[in-house]
Amino acid sequence: MKFRTFAAFVGPSLLLMMIFIAAPLVSVLWQSFHLTQNVFETVETERCTPGFPNAVCETITVDRPVLDENGEIQTVTSFVGWQSYSRVLDPDALGAAISSGDWWSILNIDFWGALRFTLTFTLVTLPLVIGVGLLIAITVNNAVKTIRGPAIFISLLPFIITPVIGALSIRWLFVGDGILTALMESWSGQDIAMFAQGWTIELLMMFYRVWHVAPFAFVIFYAGLQTVNMDTLESAIIDGASRFERLRYVIVPHLMPLIVFIALIHLMDSYRVFEEVIGFRSEAHRISLQWLTFDYLTPDDSGNRSVSRASASSMLTMVGIVILLVPLLRRTWRDHKGS
Amino acid sequence: MSSIPRAMQQPLGLKFASYGFLAFWCLIAAFPIFWVAVMSVKTPVDAFASSPLDVVFGPRTLGNGDGMSVFSILLLLTLLVLTYRVGARHLGKWVEQFSPPGLVIIGWIIGSIIFAIGAAFLMFGIYPFVVDLIDPILGPLGRPVLGLTTEHYQAVWVDNEFYTNFLNSMLVTAGVVTISLTVGTLAGYGLARSGSNLAFWLLIMALIFRALPHSVLVTGYLPAFINSAEFLEPILGESAPTLYGQPWAVIVVLVSINQPFTIWMLRSFFQNIPSELDEAARVDGCSHFGAFRRVIMPVMWPGVITTGLFSFLLAYNDYLVTALLLDQQNQTMVPAITGYFNRETTTTDQVEAVAAAVSIIAPLFLLVMVFQRQIVSGLTAGAVKG
Amino acid sequence: MKLRTLALAAAVSLMGTTAYADCAFENTQEVTMLSAGFEAWKAVTDAMAECGMVAAELDQEFREKQPEAFAADPSLYQLGGVSNGTLTPLLNAGTIRPLDDLVEQYGQNLNPNQLIRVDGQIMAIAMMVNTQHLMYRNDIFADLGLEVPTSYDEVLEVAAAIQEAGVVDYPLGATMAAGWNLAQDFNNMFLGFGGTFVNDDNTPNINTEAGMNALEMMAALTEYMDPEYLTSDSTYVQQQFQQGKIAMANLWASRAGAMNDEAESQVVGLVSGAAAPVAMEGGAPATTIWWDGIVVAANISDEEAENAFRVAMEGLDTEMVTSNNDAAIWLIEGFEPGALAEGAIATAVAGPAPYPSTTQMGLMHSAIGNNVADFLTGAATAEATLQAIEADYTTAAEEAGLL
Repeated sequence: MKFRTFAAFVGPSLLLMMIFIAAPLVSVLWQSFHLTQNVFETVETERCTPGFPNAVCETITVDRPVLDENGEIQTVTSFVGWQSYSRVLDPDALGAAISSGDWWSILNIDFWGALRFTLTFTLVTLPLVIGVGLLIAITVNNAVKTIRGPAIFISLLPFIITPVIGALSIRWLFVGDGILTALMESWSGQDIAMFAQGWTIELLMMFYRVWHVAPFAFVIFYAGLQTVNMDTLESAIIDGASRFERLRYVIVPHLMPLIVFIALIHLMDSYRVFEEVIGFRSEAHRISLQWLTFDYLTPDDSGNRSVSRASASSMLTMVGIVILLVPLLRRTWRDHKGS
Repeated sequence: MSSIPRAMQQPLGLKFASYGFLAFWCLIAAFPIFWVAVMSVKTPVDAFASSPLDVVFGPRTLGNGDGMSVFSILLLLTLLVLTYRVGARHLGKWVEQFSPPGLVIIGWIIGSIIFAIGAAFLMFGIYPFVVDLIDPILGPLGRPVLGLTTEHYQAVWVDNEFYTNFLNSMLVTAGVVTISLTVGTLAGYGLARSGSNLAFWLLIMALIFRALPHSVLVTGYLPAFINSAEFLEPILGESAPTLYGQPWAVIVVLVSINQPFTIWMLRSFFQNIPSELDEAARVDGCSHFGAFRRVIMPVMWPGVITTGLFSFLLAYNDYLVTALLLDQQNQTMVPAITGYFNRETTTTDQVEAVAAAVSIIAPLFLLVMVFQRQIVSGLTAGAVKG
Repeated sequence: MKLRTLALAAAVSLMGTTAYADCAFENTQEVTMLSAGFEAWKAVTDAMAECGMVAAELDQEFREKQPEAFAADPSLYQLGGVSNGTLTPLLNAGTIRPLDDLVEQYGQNLNPNQLIRVDGQIMAIAMMVNTQHLMYRNDIFADLGLEVPTSYDEVLEVAAAIQEAGVVDYPLGATMAAGWNLAQDFNNMFLGFGGTFVNDDNTPNINTEAGMNALEMMAALTEYMDPEYLTSDSTYVQQQFQQGKIAMANLWASRAGAMNDEAESQVVGLVSGAAAPVAMEGGAPATTIWWDGIVVAANISDEEAENAFRVAMEGLDTEMVTSNNDAAIWLIEGFEPGALAEGAIATAVAGPAPYPSTTQMGLMHSAIGNNVADFLTGAATAEATLQAIEADYTTAAEEAGLL
């Protein structure tokens, strides 16, 4: 294919990605090295607010931004190098925690706590999603034809429902004396509060993610199972391969490209874990990297937000994802060269 | 696969374990959704009762005089099974039978819409009417035994005008699916047929784009969207639009964010269409575009339908982009219901939010019902080999 | 389920739109408004809508959208709903206009208490106040012969007595959801112990005796709460009350009405209000006073502003208050404080600090919200928590250009 034809085919898609993804990405990179500040002046001001029975007036000194001749807030932008990164990573607190020998206190630093959770979350759910997905695919494939349709339908439900709603529906089952908590309480005879400590929330979040994504893995694997070469399978049987050996040496290798595909998608998505933190209100106990970025970006009542730190933390999140993806990308590269 | 070779038949124990696991999984998969649906038809006191039996039977709801009789429960179950069978088994055959060749995709769209309207009419029009008519003459079978009220659905759809959000969602979703597939098929085809390193690096770049946290992207759009009239004026003159609140602007954003996944997916479909096909067409004197239109388009639909469903889910379920970039007149359903949760809610608001949540997932149910075969066959034809 | 009810609902909603469409004038220009979305705003915007041509958005993302939308030229909205917290960014950016002329012309019915003045100029019209105060189950207190606590030490004693009696699941409820709510609870306690958040040179002043006392008191109170208190927001506490699971809570006045809602509550008539307890002997109640009100954008024409203001006045009239009396503690003429409003008014009369609405406070609020949870979960000591708050605040203040 000539370059011009190629460009014509790919152009529209590329243009969209450039405008709406690459351009913001460049600006995020730029902002992570710069800091924009308002110029403040300190003034005495009198404020009257409602009181009982009469309004209360008081004179206070406030810092208020200076407005320029166009009536807009005057700002100063300066190059700050790695400052925002170091504020996110907080190497001083990290060093202090390490030298004091108190390893747990590292997790009290927002970024490192979030990294710990994000990595655990990603690496624990990955094999579970693939394993559960494969298991469902094999059992559905084994089932008689009449129940396959309904089974596929029900299995896909957790994947299609809106994530916010899915997380809430799981939360309601467990929050307070939710019915499943009540059930566990009656089994164990103990008072159980699932949202009172970090590790139970973490378990629930992982459970939710596996529940939500395993159907995606399932449907891909199930489609893959339809194309397993029956001849290979039959010759394996003739060679006396056991059921497990057939799975291990025929089916799994056949599905390998799909496993890589699922792993790729899942690593990317779960490293950006976010909905769970909001849905399960886990901020007090567990935060994730994308939640940290989101938190920096959310304006407080006075409208302040930390754009530079948010940019730095999202660049760090991206770097993390790329590192996780390297082995898989190398594989894709080899395939590309091979084909 | 119809006749299983004898050596592959499973011993009873394994079979038992296999079916057991499947049943267990289906229970886990469906239960939270079932539970939400049950909560949505109870009064607030019942919906948040701590005893599960109270939630299911809804004594307070029943006490208010709202309930289902044994007959109406049986009728409802029958109708649900019937709907599933029509949607999952027959609709596909009818579509293929009645739509003119080459226009199968339009047949699908019309078929699904008719099916959805039919299902809604059956559940909300005919069913209550029949129940109202027959319950009084049935005696004990017609007496309400299970508390159930549709007041929250009325509140959501009638009083809070949720249908405007529904229409907005439909507009955004339809826009995203159409544009995303148009742009994506072209790019996917180009990438699949070009073996160059450039194509490879474009794909890798798309992957990295997909890895970018969305919250960062979206917050960056907001000031640009609100002030777009000012900085587009030099280019577009007086008619420069304010992008904030415009559904089509949101559609373009969602299409872009979704492009990386779409082109990866479609590329692997196209790779499985033998390139000899379009090469033959080229030998016959077609241009690349001509070959694409005449040879590839007729055979690409399974892949396109599957990819389209993923685009549909993304656009329909999106929260971050739509919540921030749309104003209330144009708001879609998902951000609209978080309004119920985030404002200072009363318990009634919460149950209404649950009802709204069920309303949001109902169309997704129908969608999967109708298209589950296409999803599987589309994946079988494409991505699974790539 | 029944067709009858559906028809009835349709009929009622139809009547609703025609029954009280009385506005003093017919509005012919479009009026747009962006505000937070809670019950009181719904009442006000519905009353405004009676004049016609009103597009009001009650948006949960308003904190993010409002400063941007008002800074656009022309402003995307003519009216804004703010609280004393969210007024600050608009005031700072100069995107809202002084209302003195308009008040003189159209504001005859306004109460002087409603006028929010900054340096003598009226910048906003308040409509209601809100404050966290003590709500308690009067039946439980009567049965056990308990006095209504006036200080937090007494709250602990009473809670212990209720715990002993075992009449409810948890004696106490609190709006301690991590983030904004938790920080607000800390603020109440910190102010109650006489703390000041920042020094005159904008450096933090949290790591003090008041800070330690506030944290310790919060930890002591959590002993009597549902262990999931770090996820419990106002709605959750309100629900706990309604389901009879808790006996006391320091809860927002705007929530009081829900206690007597027959459709939701199992404790109708059993909840009373009292002034917020004090944290230390002789101090003011450990709570803050908030107000909500309306502002008018600067970047719109004078005619638009005038028209929008007239419509807003229709939304803030006595008629609206009489039909929504229990939705809030209204400042508007015609408000009849009900039994449930007594606690809030007693609190306000005792004169706690208004919430200090400044740029510094915004930063401080976030820093507190992100760190106090670590102390309550036991991940950090009180000392370390206060240090972490100061460090977070300092970083943010340096970044904002305040230090």
